[in-house]
Amino acid sequence: MKRKLLSILMAVCMLTTAVLCSSCGNPAKSAEPNFDVPEGGYDGSEVTLKFYHTMGSNLSDVLNIYIEEFNKLYPNIHIVAEQVGSYDDVRDQIKTEITVGSQPNIAYCYPDHVALYNLAGAVATLDNLIDSQITVTRADGTTEILGLTEEQKSDFIEGYYEEGRQFGDGLMYTMPFSKSTEVLYYNKTFFDEHNLTVPTTWDEMEALCAKIKEIDPSSIPLGYDSEGNWFITMCEQYGSDYTSATGDHYLFDNETNRNFVKTFREWFQKGYLTTQTLYGAYTSGLFTAETGIRSYMSIGSSAGATHQRPAAKEDGSYPFEVGIATIPQVNPSNPKVISQGPSVCIFQKDNPQEVIASWLFVKFLTTSVEFQAEFSMASGYVPVLKSVAENETYASFLAKADGGAYVSALSAKVCLEQEKAYYTSPAFNGSSTARDQVGALLAKCLTTDAAGDVDKMIKKAFEDAIEECEYYN
Amino acid sequence: MVESKHQWKAWLYLSPCLILLLVFTVWPIINTVRMAFLEDYSGLKAAGGQVFSFGFGNFTKVIQYKKFLSCLKNTVLLCVITVPISTFLALLIAVCLNSIKALQKVLQTIFFLPYVTNSIAIGMVFAAMFNMVGSFYGTENELIVTAGIINNVIEFFGGHAINWINYGSSYAANMTVMVVYIVWNALPFKILVLLGGLQGINRQYYDAARVDGTSRRRIFSRITVPLLSPMLAYVVITGFIGGFKEYTSIVGIFGEGMGPADDAGRLNTMVGFIYDALATNSQGRASAAALILFAIILVVTLINMQVSKKKVHY
Amino acid sequence: MKDTAKKPSLATMQERDMSKEATHQKAVRILVKVFLYAFLLLMAFIVLFPFYWMINSSLKTLDEYRLSVPTFWPHQVQFSNYAEAFTAANLGRLFINTVIVGVISTILSLIITVLSAFAFARMEFKGKNVLFAALLATMMIPGELFTITNYGTVTQLGWINTYTVLIVPFLVSVFYIYLLRQNFLQIPNELYLAAKVDGTSDIKYLWRVMIPLAMPTLISITILKMMGAWNSYIWPRLVANDEAHRLITNGLRNAFTETTGDVNYPVQMAAVALVSLPLFLVFVFLRKYIMKGVSRSGIKG
Repeated sequence: MKRKLLSILMAVCMLTTAVLCSSCGNPAKSAEPNFDVPEGGYDGSEVTLKFYHTMGSNLSDVLNIYIEEFNKLYPNIHIVAEQVGSYDDVRDQIKTEITVGSQPNIAYCYPDHVALYNLAGAVATLDNLIDSQITVTRADGTTEILGLTEEQKSDFIEGYYEEGRQFGDGLMYTMPFSKSTEVLYYNKTFFDEHNLTVPTTWDEMEALCAKIKEIDPSSIPLGYDSEGNWFITMCEQYGSDYTSATGDHYLFDNETNRNFVKTFREWFQKGYLTTQTLYGAYTSGLFTAETGIRSYMSIGSSAGATHQRPAAKEDGSYPFEVGIATIPQVNPSNPKVISQGPSVCIFQKDNPQEVIASWLFVKFLTTSVEFQAEFSMASGYVPVLKSVAENETYASFLAKADGGAYVSALSAKVCLEQEKAYYTSPAFNGSSTARDQVGALLAKCLTTDAAGDVDKMIKKAFEDAIEECEYYN
Repeated sequence: MVESKHQWKAWLYLSPCLILLLVFTVWPIINTVRMAFLEDYSGLKAAGGQVFSFGFGNFTKVIQYKKFLSCLKNTVLLCVITVPISTFLALLIAVCLNSIKALQKVLQTIFFLPYVTNSIAIGMVFAAMFNMVGSFYGTENELIVTAGIINNVIEFFGGHAINWINYGSSYAANMTVMVVYIVWNALPFKILVLLGGLQGINRQYYDAARVDGTSRRRIFSRITVPLLSPMLAYVVITGFIGGFKEYTSIVGIFGEGMGPADDAGRLNTMVGFIYDALATNSQGRASAAALILFAIILVVTLINMQVSKKKVHY
Repeated sequence: MKDTAKKPSLATMQERDMSKEATHQKAVRILVKVFLYAFLLLMAFIVLFPFYWMINSSLKTLDEYRLSVPTFWPHQVQFSNYAEAFTAANLGRLFINTVIVGVISTILSLIITVLSAFAFARMEFKGKNVLFAALLATMMIPGELFTITNYGTVTQLGWINTYTVLIVPFLVSVFYIYLLRQNFLQIPNELYLAAKVDGTSDIKYLWRVMIPLAMPTLISITILKMMGAWNSYIWPRLVANDEAHRLITNGLRNAFTETTGDVNYPVQMAAVALVSLPLFLVFVFLRKYIMKGVSRSGIKG
């Protein structure tokens, strides 16, 4: 009996602790930067930093070389890099860790993840660090300022850099790490053979699809891998509302959006296109198919260029040449392409030295031309710095670009050419729900039997998606 | 009758078990209840210092959510369909296995195989088997690049390929796939338990029946089933409890979308509902849903036990 | 109990029975047998097919795996996937970790289970039935919810990235206690009372009488528990994902993520096959014990 009482007591104690704990966390975020650089900046103290990423072993190798380089400058900052799994795994792990304050120092992130971590005010704002003019002395006797120089700032591709500020409060939360976008892969051999021109607008795309259907009636001319990206990119290209980081979050139910969805539905019904979920597999499989039903264009991640290349023949040559171009636009003079790929964020810690040390490391990786060049060549992502293009090794890598063996160089080249066109969408708690919902919405509107009234079906689908978004918020 | 010394000892023997349960099971349950009654509780917001007020908001939000009923319906349907089928099939296989000599051990081992492997990986395999890769199903442009092995078999026997899990597929087709997969998954354990039970039945009963000249069917219904009834009850009760927690099998087939492409969430279940709430960081709602699920399982199990008390022969 | 596997089965007894019957009945019997085997083999085929598919996939190149038209046998048999699965994941370390966790948690779990089952089966104390029912009720709660709270608890205890955190939280399994209690209940109470009269201590009685009699059940619990260590994934990933403590499933899963965040599925399939192999072998060799253990659990309600 005693034990029973004791156990009840124990349970009550724990309950009380937990209730109390729910009100003793960090202060909520405000529009003021939440991290102030302590006087003196980095004091040279020993710190160990945990860095969560998703790099496979080939990329970890590159990273490790640069950790060593970094340690020559800052021997007291120890970096423990940990491959946690996929991006979602990183998010889930950190999300749980934040609730008990055991989050890492640095992590790979997407904007949606940061919006989530911000609920707990766990991500350190970088504004004060970037602006800091404090001089830091390195182990080799040289110095640097803690912040970014004007030169360093302007070397970032602007769209990528601005991604760190899309959280609705004007503050900087992330640094771009390596990036990719969506590009149009096309079967260059087929295009040349039939004198087809690569479409630059969606109108041209429609005409082209019709033409390809005439040439090869059993084909699906275009495959688009991500419905979510497609919807959001169209909003951006039309300048129509999608979401907002402040106020009313979900604004995508408007006439422009319903109209483009309706147009694409017509295309779909004519057999012009398919998407990854509708097709049931990566559309690159359709694109690289050599026989049977195939597609001649595929819109997918620029980092996946090697998957868009058909399997090599025995003599090492490829059955067809891959061409890569910017995706079609609504207005080619004001192009918009999505910005993807990981950024890094730094987490708040009780010891400000850990935050400063994290910043030094993040700054080292993101502003190092050599690292960015090597990492990009190993990964298929594009570097975030403009001057990487002038780096000798990287330049010679790009020079080899072709539609076969060096298809990833070609893809990187196309990405770099459209650096002005990158856009990002607002990130807030619920932005990933919005993304999922518009993707599902598009897939649904393309395929669902409208029972005679397409407009009504589309309108209903949009309303449902908004309702769904709002339930989760 | 009960000595006090004995009492004390019993608690001593139980203490490691109880202490661990208190810390790692009872406390989480208490915490779940707490979170369920804090309006819009979220772990991250709590870590950010937000304070939550007490209330029933989580429960009302969960119950009023329009997809809640569909989750509940899917869960109950899957349970009610798969438990009898898998129990019956397992019984059939176990009886057959018990009555053969050649290959018995090999087959036993094969039937146990699904138990020792990763269910998500096998789910991916099932999805590939039912998948159709292609586009424009049901339109004049219909193109099927490849149909999974199941449709190949159907076509081989002269049938029409069925759209099982892709967009435009029917709810009935989706459910069929789920039933097949869940039954497949549930078989090994049930076969194991029932076969174990069969082999434990004293042969004297059969000898007696043989002397009496009882028919095979009568032996089955009058001897085998009654003597096996505790095992059957056990298999059915755990089957229902497991069935109400169905989730990974659906992820295995349909992915995180929990439904065909044009109707994501169509096959979502109660546990899926809880996961969705966790993923969007609404631990309050997740806890409320979990308590509702617990209440349902409790009622069903009590009914099951009541029924088996009347039917089971010991 | 005698070796049940050697008992003549229902069908063979009937065979003897009907040996003097007319030949057309014999034909019927053969037909029944054919049907029986056909049914079993068909079911076996259905059960095996996904495994064939797993092995098929594990031998493909990533590009072939991604083909929209799946191939039934790899064009290019890629045995190197297995080698890659083995080396890329630092498999030796993972095996050692998993075995350490598996063995320690199995031993501790057995001790706890035996003691608890003994108390529930043999001892009388107030609230026994209520407590046992409450224990069974915990099996009905979706365990996903426990993770969040337990994570908080183990962090406060400072157990992150230790073997402790992989072992202690899951030592108690109500299911095993239930299994063993059922088994203990079958052992006649007279034995216990006689031992009491002789002045034998509980522990001695447990050790000398109960445990030997319950051996098959204990062996099945051991195997199930080892399997658990082998297959556990979500919890270890959360609480002990450092090099020194990582378990096999995590290690294998993490090792094959490609640069684009994609997973190299063929190598992962190879890894899954590799991980399943030891369990499969265990089952093949200890099948008899597992069968016996389970068969005893439900005989007495």
